Amino acid sequence: MFKKKKLMAVLVAVAMVSALFAVNGASANTYWQYWTDGIGYVNATNGQGGNYSVSWSNSGNFVIGKGWQYGAHNRVVNYNAGAWQPNGNAYLTLYGWTRNPLIEYYVVDSWGSYRPTGDYRGSVYSDGAWYDLYHSWRYNAPSIDGTQTFQQYWSVRQQKRPTGSNVSITFENHVNAWGAAGMPMGSSWSYQVLATEGYYSSGYSNVTVW
Amino acid sequence: MSKKKTLVCAVFVLVAAAVAVGGCSSVQVSGAEQTDRTGGKLLSDQMVLVEGGTFKHKRSNYSGGEVAVQDFYIGKYEVTQKEWTAVMGSNPSKFRGDNLPVDSVSWYEAIEYCNRRSLMEGLEPYYNIDKSQADPDNKSEIDPLKWIVTINEGANGYRLPTELEWEYAASGGQKSKGYKYSGGNKPDDVSWNWRNAGNRYLKGGWSWQSIENNENRTRPVGRKKANELGLYDMSGNVREWCWDWYEDQMVESGMFRVVRGGGWLGDVHTLEIKFRGMFDASGVGPDQGFRVARNA
Repeated sequence: MFKKKKLMAVLVAVAMVSALFAVNGASANTYWQYWTDGIGYVNATNGQGGNYSVSWSNSGNFVIGKGWQYGAHNRVVNYNAGAWQPNGNAYLTLYGWTRNPLIEYYVVDSWGSYRPTGDYRGSVYSDGAWYDLYHSWRYNAPSIDGTQTFQQYWSVRQQKRPTGSNVSITFENHVNAWGAAGMPMGSSWSYQVLATEGYYSSGYSNVTVW
Repeated sequence: MSKKKTLVCAVFVLVAAAVAVGGCSSVQVSGAEQTDRTGGKLLSDQMVLVEGGTFKHKRSNYSGGEVAVQDFYIGKYEVTQKEWTAVMGSNPSKFRGDNLPVDSVSWYEAIEYCNRRSLMEGLEPYYNIDKSQADPDNKSEIDPLKWIVTINEGANGYRLPTELEWEYAASGGQKSKGYKYSGGNKPDDVSWNWRNAGNRYLKGGWSWQSIENNENRTRPVGRKKANELGLYDMSGNVREWCWDWYEDQMVESGMFRVVRGGGWLGDVHTLEIKFRGMFDASGVGPDQGFRVARNA
């Protein structure tokens, strides 16, 4: 009994500390990730605060999103995809990098015609749904550190997440699940954005991130 | 004056004039031969004698310590494809051009180049290469080669700079002005990087898709501002292999070799004098090259 109480106390203490240090970055979501390859029609707007919108038609590749210059393992990323209307291949995803080691990660909440996969490593329940964990290697592939052989971590929601309301991605749940599956993050965090990524498709998205 | 000497002088004057106007002319591999300290032939416009000492740069990885560097020679430019092909007989580069830096070379291939060039120029090879067994110090899971490479410490042949030498040279050695990047504080002044190495200048956050579609590429060596020692492209163009194993608090020795200086592909932080990059020794990439060094 004593041991159980002690354990509970420790858990509560950990929870309190976690709450103290949880990052929601309400004032920091101004990092603007913008790219379009100029193919087709892509019209992106960097809105106020954490808002962005993008309209695309017969596009090439583009990645447009908003977030933080430096990622955090315990960030709760809130967003509202007021519009998410992909027609073809596109992701609505939390996306970022760590270094030491170099890891490219995705938490994919919704997609268009293609659900990304990889080497299955388990599942995690977070924010009201199950996500499948995937691991993949990229050999001699481009990265923010130049060409590297590095790992990709994926957490892909089993069903497309409904849009149009305020939702959260508790990133720490994914980080912990990846860690338990032998997929630790790096020690240094690069940017972290909630992005719309499109690939030769059409559509419209309007997303606010906080 | 012979025709050869006249040509040499003309080239020298042209190169000097180009440097005087900002180094914006193409650089030809040419120049008067002279004998270096070790008795080897040295092309005077390709190798720079770096005076040793402790770091003058205040914010390097070695600043404030007692680490001293011996005098050494280092290439004024990254090894070009013309130089590589003359030694190795083929060209692995993704981007083609005589005066472009060679790219897509592994650490092992760079080591082999050094030895072969040394032999071609009558120098004593600096490296001993044993391909018959796997290096027990190589702990990489993804390196299929694992050659055992040891050094002939006193040899006068070509070699890779050590990481210490590379950073010392990039920081300007005894002439250091304390720049963030090699030769300046603005990356575009001194480097070909992911923003400026393509068809148009890229803004926003780093994105491989944007880089690829912007047709980013390597650029002829020596066209950006040189650093305090007259070395070009120490930041940017291609990143450069160093001799050392990479090691820090998170990464044990034996996994990766050190790469320094960043290139046209990575984010701007990789261009900083302080940035320590790593890559598996057998890895190749279109942003991976090197420059040579020699003992003084």
